[in-house]
Amino acid sequence: MTAWIDFARGPLFRLCFALMVLGLLRIFLVTLLGVKEAYQRNSDKIVSWKEIRRQTLGWLFPIGRLWRQRPIYSALSFLFHVGMIVTPLFLASHILLWRNSVGFGWPALSQTAANWLALLVIITGTGIFMGRVLHAGARKLSKFQDFLWPLLIMTPFVTGYIASNAVISPRTYQGMMLVHIYAGDLIMLMIPFTKLAHCVLAPLSQLVTGIAWKFPAGAGDRVTETLGFADRPTWVPNARLATEPEVAEPAKKGESGK
Amino acid sequence: MASVMKSLTRPLTPEEREKAFTSRKKEEVVKSQRLPVRYHVEDFDVEDRPRRFLEAFASILKHTNYRLALDHYVRVTSRCARCSVACPVYDATQDPRDIPCYRSELLLSIYRRHFTISGILRARVLGDPGLTDEKIQELADSYYNCTACRRCHFECPMGIDHALITHLGRYILSEIGIAPRALVVSVREQLTGATGNTSAIPLPALIDTLEFLTEDIQDEKGVNVPFPVDQEGAEYIFFTAVSDYMMEADTLKGIAAVMKATGDSWTIGSKYYDGINYGLFYSDQIMEHVLQKIQAEAKRLKAKKILMGECGHASRTAKYFYPTYCGGKDAIPVVSILEYTQQALKEGRIKLDPKIVTERVTYHDPCNFARTGWIIKQPREVLKSFCPDYAEMAPNGRSNLCCGGGGGTVSIDEVRAFRTTVGGRLKAEQIRRTGANYCVAPCANCKKQLRELMEDQGVNCEVIGLHDLVYKAIILPPDPKSEEETEDSTGNSVSLSEGGTL
Repeated sequence: MTAWIDFARGPLFRLCFALMVLGLLRIFLVTLLGVKEAYQRNSDKIVSWKEIRRQTLGWLFPIGRLWRQRPIYSALSFLFHVGMIVTPLFLASHILLWRNSVGFGWPALSQTAANWLALLVIITGTGIFMGRVLHAGARKLSKFQDFLWPLLIMTPFVTGYIASNAVISPRTYQGMMLVHIYAGDLIMLMIPFTKLAHCVLAPLSQLVTGIAWKFPAGAGDRVTETLGFADRPTWVPNARLATEPEVAEPAKKGESGK
Repeated sequence: MASVMKSLTRPLTPEEREKAFTSRKKEEVVKSQRLPVRYHVEDFDVEDRPRRFLEAFASILKHTNYRLALDHYVRVTSRCARCSVACPVYDATQDPRDIPCYRSELLLSIYRRHFTISGILRARVLGDPGLTDEKIQELADSYYNCTACRRCHFECPMGIDHALITHLGRYILSEIGIAPRALVVSVREQLTGATGNTSAIPLPALIDTLEFLTEDIQDEKGVNVPFPVDQEGAEYIFFTAVSDYMMEADTLKGIAAVMKATGDSWTIGSKYYDGINYGLFYSDQIMEHVLQKIQAEAKRLKAKKILMGECGHASRTAKYFYPTYCGGKDAIPVVSILEYTQQALKEGRIKLDPKIVTERVTYHDPCNFARTGWIIKQPREVLKSFCPDYAEMAPNGRSNLCCGGGGGTVSIDEVRAFRTTVGGRLKAEQIRRTGANYCVAPCANCKKQLRELMEDQGVNCEVIGLHDLVYKAIILPPDPKSEEETEDSTGNSVSLSEGGTL
């Protein structure tokens, strides 16, 4: 089992980590390039940067706006995110692993703080999972992966917490670590390809929306031209009828005339 | 904030539901169009609809910037349902299909399936047949349940703008012939008809109306207030929802009175005088063509600024999309009459008598003005300056509730029951709670919808425009020739408040 663990936190970790970083970098840059391209395509360069900035910062630090709607769910979600980001990044043993292989490290959380944060993630994770299950609207919206993600994300936290706190046999400890590391690797690998990509994309949302509301001039006409209806735009009577209606209607001059 | 949203949780009764969702279309029409939506659609080619839909989608993606937004939204959408609490439609129906995110997902899933590599590969593996007629029907129904009020945009932690997706979805649908007949017919008249406006008001009728209004003001205020037509080189060229010329005489009189008091030159163009732009509701191509008509008229008369009347969507299209289609930063500036009047009041160029309007007044924020933060304070400043009994609704401003007729649905008479029992239910309650006698709604669409809403929901409140009230209270300087009549004019304006509105 040790060999499996070593593989997972050695080569497999490096692969998953690299794929995560490169994947996130890719979609981040692709989105930025898309924004640039769209901006250049538009003749209208009036963009309310101030509003975009305001909304982006508002959602990056959503302390003020979360409580307006669904306050419990929002609070759970917020704490879940904080714990989920802070705990793995500042866990002493993670930093130690990193220092041993890369050569540098950074200040770590105390073990007590890390424990509390891990507990927080487990509790709030369960909360938002239940929120999704119990809220009729959210349940209807959700796909399978939406239910799966909170559980998958909690897995390394649960196993990590047990491994470092509970009194368990070495064999169980190894089992816990095995699940812990493989789950962690799997999550990293999946981040760029799933909705978890929002960890880097969400700050771009307001920018994307702001630019997308700017339409390129002349696009509408080019669309109909491509469709082969340049001479029959939608405001022409019976614009898109393949065959003329069987009963030829007399032109309704009386209605539109004068 | 004491919001009505939390306190009004009564579900729709089965009767209300029945009334709101029943299609009034004839059975044979539904059969031939294979489309049981509530509103009427013109005849269109029903063969091969999914393929045509995808072709239209592809063509739109090719020539526009929507792909940027769709790619992004597909990646980040988390389906957390937070937007559900922001949607007045969902609040009334409690149907998960009315959650903004669910609605967006309808189109996003088509995009994912047919226009992303992973979606196409997955479909190969799983044998997904792809877009079907049923799905198009669901889209067609769902996208006209939405009033495009954009309230949900503020509640999406991922920053998804569901109204942008609704806008795109309707655009694609319109390209395969699925658009409400009410809107299509108006646009046809506007772009190709003899009168060139959505209400088919011929020019002589317009001139008659304007003369009549001038006489009216002369009678009521004792001052000659002209409605200038075709004055070249005027500072402002005026466009409003053309229906105002038939329905909102007092609003127009108020606007003319303000222009008279400030002394700025303005004009109405005889070749084109309609501000309405249904393109915002269902087609970018139409939006562009209508704005080009506005540009042509403004250029013909060499106007320096475009002045938009009391109409939310017309003002928004002009303010935000006129530069898009007509020259970017070099485009002629667009000013709303609400901004104009507030500015004039601030500069002391108009005087309003605070003793005239003593009834309680409340203000309804039209979504197209308020959601972007463009016009919120201005009309309130004007109202508070002369209405002593001013009451605020909650929520208001940027997070106001839609009147229930946004996104062009107000023009679709077939869906009136839906609009007044579902879309505007919270709004009616909001207005009822203010206890106001007058609800000021400076938007032609909101006015029509709110009047129907007040009627159907039994709320005793008169819905009027901002300039209707301004007209009652404005003190106009007497004409130089008839100085003796000064006393009269004040006397007349007082008596008007007793029964002045139409």
